Amino acid sequence: MEKGKKILSAAALPVIVLAVCLLITSVNGITLFDSQLSWITFTRAAVNVLLVTYALSINLNSGRFDFSIGSTALLSSVISAMIATKYNLSPVLMLMISVVTGGLLGLLSGFVYVTVKLPPIIVSLAMALFYEGMAFTLTGGHGVSFASNAALMEFGTIPNFLIIAAIAAVMMIAVFDHTKFGYEYKALVSGQKVAVNTGIREVPNALICYLIAGLLMGAQGFISATSNGSITMSLNFGSISPMFMAFLPMFVGGFIGRFINDKFGYLLGAVCSALISLVYVRMNAASSTQQIVSALLMVSFLIYLNNEGKLKHLLKRS
Amino acid sequence: MEKKENKRKFTSGKLLNLAPVIGMILMAAVFLAIAYMKDVNIPYSFKNILNQSIITMVVATGAVFIYTLGAFDISLGASMCVSALVGAMAYNRTGSLLIMLGVCVGCAVLVSLISSVLASVFNLPVFVTTIAMLSLLNAFALVLIKANGTGDVVQVPANAVRGINTVWFKLIVLILFLAFCIFAFSFMKLGRQEKFVGGNPICAALSGLNASKLSIIGFMMAGLGVGLGAFLTITYAPTLSRNTAGSVGMDVIISIVFGGMPVSGGARSRIYSAAVGSLSMTLLSQIMLMLNFDSGISQMVKAVIFLLVVYVSMLNSRKTILPR
Amino acid sequence: MKLIKKFLVMQLSLLMAICLSACSSGGGSSAEDPTAKTVKIGVLVSDTTSAEALSFRSYYENYIKSVYNVDFMYSDELKDAAAEQSAIDNFIANNCQAIISFASADRPAQIEKCETEGIYYAVATGTLTDEQYEQFKSYKYYVGAIGPDLAIEYQAGYDMAKFYLDQGYTKFGMFTGASVYFTEMHIYRAAGMIAAMCEAGNGDYEGAKGMDIVGKIMSEGGNVNTGKIGSVELNGVVAGYDFDDAWFGKLAAVANDPNVEVLLAVGSGQTAFAGFKPEGKMLGDIDCYTADSVGLMKAGTLNYLAGKFSASIGPIFAATLSAVYGKPIRTADGNAFALSQGYWIATDAETAEKYFEVDSSTTAPAYTKEKLDTLIGASYDDFAKFVSAYSFEDIQK
Repeated sequence: MEKGKKILSAAALPVIVLAVCLLITSVNGITLFDSQLSWITFTRAAVNVLLVTYALSINLNSGRFDFSIGSTALLSSVISAMIATKYNLSPVLMLMISVVTGGLLGLLSGFVYVTVKLPPIIVSLAMALFYEGMAFTLTGGHGVSFASNAALMEFGTIPNFLIIAAIAAVMMIAVFDHTKFGYEYKALVSGQKVAVNTGIREVPNALICYLIAGLLMGAQGFISATSNGSITMSLNFGSISPMFMAFLPMFVGGFIGRFINDKFGYLLGAVCSALISLVYVRMNAASSTQQIVSALLMVSFLIYLNNEGKLKHLLKRS
Repeated sequence: MEKKENKRKFTSGKLLNLAPVIGMILMAAVFLAIAYMKDVNIPYSFKNILNQSIITMVVATGAVFIYTLGAFDISLGASMCVSALVGAMAYNRTGSLLIMLGVCVGCAVLVSLISSVLASVFNLPVFVTTIAMLSLLNAFALVLIKANGTGDVVQVPANAVRGINTVWFKLIVLILFLAFCIFAFSFMKLGRQEKFVGGNPICAALSGLNASKLSIIGFMMAGLGVGLGAFLTITYAPTLSRNTAGSVGMDVIISIVFGGMPVSGGARSRIYSAAVGSLSMTLLSQIMLMLNFDSGISQMVKAVIFLLVVYVSMLNSRKTILPR
Repeated sequence: MKLIKKFLVMQLSLLMAICLSACSSGGGSSAEDPTAKTVKIGVLVSDTTSAEALSFRSYYENYIKSVYNVDFMYSDELKDAAAEQSAIDNFIANNCQAIISFASADRPAQIEKCETEGIYYAVATGTLTDEQYEQFKSYKYYVGAIGPDLAIEYQAGYDMAKFYLDQGYTKFGMFTGASVYFTEMHIYRAAGMIAAMCEAGNGDYEGAKGMDIVGKIMSEGGNVNTGKIGSVELNGVVAGYDFDDAWFGKLAAVANDPNVEVLLAVGSGQTAFAGFKPEGKMLGDIDCYTADSVGLMKAGTLNYLAGKFSASIGPIFAATLSAVYGKPIRTADGNAFALSQGYWIATDAETAEKYFEVDSSTTAPAYTKEKLDTLIGASYDDFAKFVSAYSFEDIQK
C-alpha cells in the first residue's frame, strides 16, 4: 500500500468516529466542542486512555495480563502527592516522583513475576491487593486531597497534557521500535520459545516491560490526581477498573496499526475513545447508558475485526 | 539409585500437587490456634465458614469448566446478580421457590450461553467478551431494579426462604452439584476433552475436537453454578441490590487459583481446586478478622499469603521460560 | 523433598508469626462488676474509605477504646445484604456482645438475626422507617437508632440551598450522588435543595413542591432534571460515582458552566467539584469535618459544610454499653428508642476549624467519657434530651 493511502486508511476510523460524534450531538442541538473546557476534557481523557493503553498493551501483547496497573497508578500518585504537599513541591517535581515511583512499583511487580515464575495474572492479582493495601495504610484510608493547592491544580492544561502524551509516544516508539530491547521484545511476542532458544534474555526484557508500564501508570496516576484534586482509596480490587477503559482503544489501535506504527494506532484509538467520552459528557448521558453503549461498541468492533474476511466475502457475494 | 531418585521425585511431585490442600489444612490449624487463644466460638465459626464459602464454592466449581479451557470469565458476579434479581422477581410474581430456582438457573445459563456463543461464533476473545458482558449486566441490573419499582432493592419475603436458609440445605446443594461436576469432569469425555483443548488447542483441533462446542458446554456448566449461587444468595440474604454478588467475580478467580488450578487450564486442571480454594480463602479472611488488622494491612498480608500458597502449589509445574 | 520441607517451614513460620501476634490480646473477668470485663462490640461498616467512616472509627479506636473497657471488631466493607449477614455471623463467632451498625443494605435482616442470636444491636448515623420501627421496637435486643432521619436529611438540603438563595444567588448546579441508585438519604437531600429553590423562585419542580419532590425524583429513576424553577435556574446536574473520564468531565462541565453560580452537593462535594471549580463560584456540601474540608474552607473553595461530627456516635455507644451492662434505655412503653440527630453547620473557615479541632481531638472530643457516663443507665427522657442537644454550642455548654 502506498504511504499516502496508508495514512488515509489510518485516519479513516478516527474521522468516522468524529463525524458520528458530531452528528449525534448536533442532532440533539449540542455543540461537541463548545468551549475550552470541552477541549481540556477531551485532551485529558485522550492522554489518560493513551497512557493506560500503552501500559496495558506492553504486557498484554506478550500474553501477560496485568491487573495491577490501576493500583500502580494509585500508589504512585499517593506517594508523590504526599511528598509534594508536604514539601510544597511543584507539579513537575510531583510528576517526576510519580513516574519514578510508578516505574519502581512496576519493576517490583516484574521482579516478583520473574522470581516466583507464576502466571502473570496471578502475580498481578496479588500485587494489586498489595499496592491497594499499601496506599490505604499510607494515607490511613483517607486518601490525599489537594484541591486547594493551586500550584498542583494548575497543571491540567492542554499543552501540559499534550507534552506528556508526546513524551509517552516518543518513548514508546524509541524504545520498542529502535532499540535492541524492542527487537527482542517483538521476537518474544511472536515466538517466546524460539526467541529464548536463540539467546534472547527473557527475564531482563520482562523486567523492562514492567518498568515501562509502571512509568506510564505513574504519569497516569499523576494526571488523574491533579485533574481531580484528590485521590480516593480503593480496596478489594477496586483499582482494576481503569484497565477496562483501555481495551477498546487497544483494539482500535491494533486495527489502525495495520497501516501505520501501532503506537500511533493506540494514540488514534485513545482519541476515538476520548471523543466518545466527550459525547457522554456533552449529552450528560446516564451511567447505565454509557456502560451499554461502550460495551456494544467494543463487541461490535471486535466482531467486525475478527470476521472481516467473512464480511467482505459476504458483501462481494451480495 | 536412579530408580530411587525417580521415586523421590514422584513422591515430592504428588505431595506438591497436594500443596493447596496442605495449605488449607495449615490455614485451618492457624485458625484453630488463634480461635482457641482468642476464646472464639469454634463450632459456630465452622458453621459460619461453611456458610460463607459454599456460594463461592458452587460458582467456582462451575467456573472450573471455563478455566480448564484456558478461558476466563470476569462477568460471573454480574451474571449472578442479574440471575438473582430476575429469580427474586419471579418469586414475587408466583410465590414458588421452585420457579425461583428455575429462573435463577435459566437466566444464568442464558447469560453464559450469550457470552460463549458470541465468543465462539464470532471468534471473539473470551475474556474481552466477558468484560463487555460485565458492563451490560451491571447496567441491566440497574434497569431491573428500576423496573421493579421498589426503591434500590428487590426483596423476597424473609419468611419464604427461612426454611431453606440452613447450612444443611446449602451443603446438600453443594454436594449434589459437586458430584455432578466431578462426574462430568472426571468420568465423562467432557473433562478430558476440555483439558486437551486447554492444554493444546491446535492438537485438539487437529484431533477433531470442536473447541466451540466445548466452550459452549463449559460456559453452560459455569452458568449452572452461577444460577445455583444466585438461588443460594437469595436464601441467605433475600434483599438484593445492584451490589449483590459484586465480589463474586474476583472471589472465583482467587479461589480457583488458591486451590492450585493453573489459570492456563489444560491437563493439570482439577475440579476440586475451587472448593479447596474457597475454603482456604474464607479461613484466611477469618484469621485476618480475628487479628483485627487495619483494612490495608489485612489486604497486604492476604496478598502475601495468597502468593505464597500459589507459589508452592505450582512448584512442580515450573518451566524454563516465563509463564504467560 | 527439599521443596516440601521448604514449604512446610514457610507455612509453619507463618503459623507461628500469626499465632504470636494473636497472643497479644486478652481481657480480665469478674462476675460482680460488669465494667471489669472487656465488652466486645462488632461494628458493621458499609464504607471503609469515606472520610466520615474513618473519623467515626478514629473516635471509637482512639478515644472510646482508651477510656472504656471495650474492644471493637470491624467488618470489611459491606456492599450487600449477604455480606452483612456474614459479618454478623463473624461477630457472633468472635463472641461480640453487641453490634453497632453503619450498614443499611438490609437492616430488618440484621435486627432479626441479632434478636435470634441474643446479641444487642444498635443503628448508628441512621434510622429505621416508621414501619420498621413499629415492627422491631419491642425486640429485646434492639437497642435503638440515632442519626439523621429522612426529615433531617431533607432539611439539611433545604437549609444549604436556602443559605445561598438568601444571598441572592439564583443559578445552581447539583451533584446528587447516589440518588440514581435510589439511595434515600441523597434523594431527600436533593429534594430539600429543590424545595428551597421552589420557595425562593416561586415556582415548582415539574409540578411538584415541598416533600412531593421526593416522589417526583423517585419516579424519574432517582434522576434530577435541569430546568427553571420559577425565577431560579437549575442548570446542571451530575449523579453517580463512575470515577471515569466522562464522569469527571461532566463534573468539570457543571462546575465551569457560566450559568452556574452555586454548586450544591448531597455528599462528596469535595471530591466531585472542588478540583474543577473556578474561583468565585460557591460550593456547599453535606459531609463531615476533616482536615481537608477545613483546608478547602480556608482556601475559599468550600463555603458551606453541613457535617456529621465524629463523636455523634458516642450516645449510641453509651446506650449499647448500657444494654450490655443490663441497663437498657427504653421508652416509657418499654420500647427501643428512635432519636434524630442533625449536623453541625459551618459557613466560614473559623467555625469549621473550631468544629474540627474538637471533632478530631483524641483527648477531649465533643462527647467525652464524663458526658457519656451520664447516659449509662439513664432514663429515656434524659437520654433523648442529651441526644437532641447536638449542636456544637449545646454540647460545649
